[in-house]
Amino acid sequence: MTSSRPLSSYVTLGLALVVWAILPFVVPRHVADLLVFTGIYTIAGLGIGLLLGHCGIVNLAQATFYGIGAYASAYCTVMLHLPALTGFALGAALSMALAWLIGRPILRLTGYFLALGTLALSAIASALFFEWDWLTGGTLGIGGIPKLDLLGFALDRPSRYYFLVWIVAFACMAVAANLVDSRTGLMLRAMRDSSTAAAALSVDLQSLRTRVFVVCALFGSLAGSLFAHHASFVSTQSFTVDRSINFLLIPVIGGATSIPGIVVGALFITFLPEFLSKLGDFHQILFGLALVAVVVLVPDGLMGALGRLRKRRVAAGNGHGG
Amino acid sequence: MTLSLVLQAIFAGVTNGIVYALVGMGLSAIFKGSRVINAMQGEFSVVGAMTTVLLLTKAGWPYPAAIAAGALAGALLGAGLELAFVRHMARKNASEDSFLLLTIGLALTLSAGTLFFVGRDGYLLPPFGEGVLIVLDAVIQFHALWLIAIGIGATLALRAFFHRTSVGLSMMAASIDADGAATTGINVARMRTYTFFLGGLLGALGGILVTPLVAVDYQLGLNLTLKGFAAAVLGGLTNPLGAAVGGLTLGLVESLAIIGISSSYKDVVAFTVLIVIMILMPNGILGRAGRRGG
Repeated sequence: MTSSRPLSSYVTLGLALVVWAILPFVVPRHVADLLVFTGIYTIAGLGIGLLLGHCGIVNLAQATFYGIGAYASAYCTVMLHLPALTGFALGAALSMALAWLIGRPILRLTGYFLALGTLALSAIASALFFEWDWLTGGTLGIGGIPKLDLLGFALDRPSRYYFLVWIVAFACMAVAANLVDSRTGLMLRAMRDSSTAAAALSVDLQSLRTRVFVVCALFGSLAGSLFAHHASFVSTQSFTVDRSINFLLIPVIGGATSIPGIVVGALFITFLPEFLSKLGDFHQILFGLALVAVVVLVPDGLMGALGRLRKRRVAAGNGHGG
Repeated sequence: MTLSLVLQAIFAGVTNGIVYALVGMGLSAIFKGSRVINAMQGEFSVVGAMTTVLLLTKAGWPYPAAIAAGALAGALLGAGLELAFVRHMARKNASEDSFLLLTIGLALTLSAGTLFFVGRDGYLLPPFGEGVLIVLDAVIQFHALWLIAIGIGATLALRAFFHRTSVGLSMMAASIDADGAATTGINVARMRTYTFFLGGLLGALGGILVTPLVAVDYQLGLNLTLKGFAAAVLGGLTNPLGAAVGGLTLGLVESLAIIGISSSYKDVVAFTVLIVIMILMPNGILGRAGRRGG
């Protein structure tokens, strides 16, 4: 974040905040519900965006950490009757520990191998969630997960839960933005663009990549815990390989290097299927085609396309002036 | 653990292994020819098998004709993928990731298309041969024997194709050194289309062969892609014949491992093996030697 921002960008930000605060009260309940999911998916997508945009890593294992967060919250609150915060903490701790343990060896892979290695990881996790039904309830799942309350204020409606989810999302965005702007972020991009050159400058690739993978897992787990308390019910269907693929689409569609891009991607994957579902079963085909269109036509995501458009307009404007 | 149980597991492993091998050989042929990891490889199998099922049951075609049409459908889908998307994106120097995402998107589309047009039900094809063979109390379906024979035949035919025919040799040349091949008058872009045609054909063949044993439905594709990829990686990825060895290994490991533990851990074992092999043996189980030929 540069300090020489024009005033207009603060005005835009202020307006966006006002719209954000009013939005849940003016939209119908099911739209507020979708906005809650947008927030949850933004959190999960942020981590994948960091890996994809700044490390060049395709992470297809996010549903694993999302699942760990969700089951940790479900198990702690329903089975052990512990406060909700313990579920969040346990999920985060487990996810980060697992990401660190698995990250060390698996991040030695590159390119396709790494992408499919993480996909295999997601397939393993989804099979284990299914098999360990003493812990996860299998396909029957765990129900009755309590709604949260914040400082005595019950977040029992989408329009209220919205605020908690998005405050967490903003916090995660701040963490991500900080990471990107820090020395670590600089080293990450150096590593992405030329790993040999970065290694020659004694950048420790493995530990950096592992660190970002751990942050990604943390975001995934937080999103999972938030999801569990929102849905009140978790089962294996929510943590399949398909879900991992869906999560990957968030930064791909929106643009992996831009944080607003992640929000755009999250909006896309929550609202487009909902919008298309009026067309019946056909909507999944259209969703697939929309994805293909994005990959083929705007490989740097919707935000990337927007940026290019703006640049072109500025360039055209300069052309006229000169 | 009795002998017949082990024998049964070995047969199941070889049968599954041949299917993984066919899917993996297609994946590997495409990777070799275009450096694209095709995440919709399993969809070729689904489309091939579904086409055969529909022609056989709804249109009343004779079985062999339906099989040929199913295999052709998969092959044409492969060639279509190259002509419609890969060629266009390769010209724009698209990254590895975009190809992966493209094929993931197409896999989702095809899977949704199958769901929309055919529904949630699984479909079986009739076995190629009725009856069972009993060896030392192990029950082996005749169809499994057909599957193994056809799989081995296809592998040998593929080898002969790459080594003996001029088209096959041109495809190899185009994949090893595109500029050099172009200099000698080989149409590199057309060879890439052929590669995708071949990949689609192999995928569809795998799907058609397995459908008398495992019902084909809209969800089968992703699982076959993963297993096929595992087979291809075990074999060193750039060598289609290595993928045959990889597929057999994967099938055997999977079915022998589940003698010891619950059968529901089949996928866990297979994918763990995949990750471990990728990390420890990046050139596949055949090592560098396996990268030659094929």
